[in-house]
Amino acid sequence: MKALTFSLLAEPEERLDLSGLTPAALAGLTALQIAKLRIGTGRNPVLAGDILKITGKDADSLVVEGSSSRLDKVGSRMIGGSIRVTGNVGNQAGREMSGGSLIIEGGAGDHAGSGMSGGRIEIKGNAGDNIGGPLAGEIVGMEGGVLIVNGKAGNYAGDRLRRGVIAILKGCGDYAGYRMIAGTIVVKGRVGAMPGYLMKRGSLLFDRRPENLVPTFMPCGEPDIAFSDLFDRFLVDEKILARPLLGQKPGRYGGDNAVSGKGEILFRRGR
Amino acid sequence: MSVAWIGSQPVSLMDAIQNAAKLLASSRCPVFTLDTDVHGTRSAIALIERLGGAYDHALGDVLAKEVTLFTDHGGMFTTPGEARRRSSLIILVGDIPAAHHDMLLSWAGTQPDLGDRGKRTWFHIHGEMNAAAKLARQLKAVSLGAEGLSLGGALAVLRAQLQDRQVARSLGGIEQFRKALAKSQFPVFVFSGTSGDAPGLAMLQGLIADLNRKGRASSVFLPADDDAWGTALTSLWMTGFPTRTGFSNSLPSYDPVRWDVQRMIRDKEADLHVWVSSRGGETPPRGGTAAVISLSRTEAPASGAAVTIAVGKPGVDHDGVAYSSRIGTFRALAATAPSPLPSVANIVRQLANSLPGRKALPC
Repeated sequence: MKALTFSLLAEPEERLDLSGLTPAALAGLTALQIAKLRIGTGRNPVLAGDILKITGKDADSLVVEGSSSRLDKVGSRMIGGSIRVTGNVGNQAGREMSGGSLIIEGGAGDHAGSGMSGGRIEIKGNAGDNIGGPLAGEIVGMEGGVLIVNGKAGNYAGDRLRRGVIAILKGCGDYAGYRMIAGTIVVKGRVGAMPGYLMKRGSLLFDRRPENLVPTFMPCGEPDIAFSDLFDRFLVDEKILARPLLGQKPGRYGGDNAVSGKGEILFRRGR
Repeated sequence: MSVAWIGSQPVSLMDAIQNAAKLLASSRCPVFTLDTDVHGTRSAIALIERLGGAYDHALGDVLAKEVTLFTDHGGMFTTPGEARRRSSLIILVGDIPAAHHDMLLSWAGTQPDLGDRGKRTWFHIHGEMNAAAKLARQLKAVSLGAEGLSLGGALAVLRAQLQDRQVARSLGGIEQFRKALAKSQFPVFVFSGTSGDAPGLAMLQGLIADLNRKGRASSVFLPADDDAWGTALTSLWMTGFPTRTGFSNSLPSYDPVRWDVQRMIRDKEADLHVWVSSRGGETPPRGGTAAVISLSRTEAPASGAAVTIAVGKPGVDHDGVAYSSRIGTFRALAATAPSPLPSVANIVRQLANSLPGRKALPC
């Protein structure tokens, strides 16, 4: 059965909320019922059938053909199945996702993977600020799952992260791991200022010695620990990286000593 | 003297209202920039709710940064009056807007008369030296900082050092600060939204929370602009959310990215921009393809605006209510030079009455 496919007919005039287009929400609906779903967020909101051409029938495997930074909340609250987007998406992709697979072949806006608790998001392009982080007023960030950004990520990556893995493969902005309390953030490439600011626990893994560290992180030598080997193997097995990130005996900083000081930054030595 | 224009042509106020109401009724996505007193803001928000639009403040970026501390972190706050009367240890944090310098300088000539009784001492925690350095010198504040360290870094180091934790760099003046802290019953940190970025302010509030485990400490928040903060509080009162709120599906939703009005105009999401400014001398920003309705204190039509209506300034042309950070709440403003110029609330009510349905606003 062919994947249920939504082809964007034109650049939408208003921002679209695609949180209703998930495998679980569409299961059992006819094409006509799907076309009548309201996805517009403006004063006279558009329906799915007004802006998307709907083909295919397999609701467990969705494809969004098209690219627009106005496609918000793609895969939001997804609990299973798969969604593939052939271009860029807007804000809050994969928000509160708990299962399944979301592949974005372009870039994503702010708050991708915000508050996700399971599943896997892969963004082939760049991502905006606050990936995995909570929205204004929320106190819990990402709680599980895997979020991979093949390009660059903006500021505040992994804000309030408490479980799960975020991997960023071409560097990130300032305040990576801001307020994180557990979980792991992997960054290959240049890291901006103040990584781990207000970090209580958890691990930041870098492929080079971090610059612009806040002075409340202290060097802890080159511990010979099993974790780096195990995690390198995980990253290669999951096809997130082709080669190990940390290698043998990575360097280590402990912090943020302004709070509990139980977090760590591990980095590959020699770069 | 004309008070209303369609394009650059002077027209009667009624014609301008009718024309503006037509634009509002036909707009796909109307957005409002607000910069007025409480009555104007309340009536504008009531109209925006009816239209399904969104609103922001003219100083939206600075205001959003200030609001972030409250939405994302929270904190412990006191009023300027409490700080002046109870605290013998005041710590300035980063850059303080010039509008508040007179108030802080007036504190220097007083002593606390409740709680702490000693002579007031001042400290200034800072990153790279900035505009607040002059104020700090006038107050003879002891410097807490280190060369090459940002304010966020300095606050992190201070918080760690006060807990006797290891740090890679120490702050100058830290021992003097420890002694002052030991003597004071109520240290108060004075900061503004322009003092530093949001993480630094979150670190500051964490530091204050640490101090409250063994004694009392608090902070005084001095907004970058009193009128802007008053608009945020009025919006909270009306909708439960600060500015950068929109009425999607008739319910208010707060999203500082989505409802950033300048971004919406730039990205061509909005097709109508209503500029509401009773401050005087302010004009709607140029650029974008959205039609503009300008309600502003002006004697000439706003450049590029489809409709311009002149309004009075609260506290000058007519009475009003505005926020005052000096007292930490709203205060009444009596008109100093009453004029026939209408208030923003008056014009907004007329706009609402001219919309299809002709239903009056609740405020």
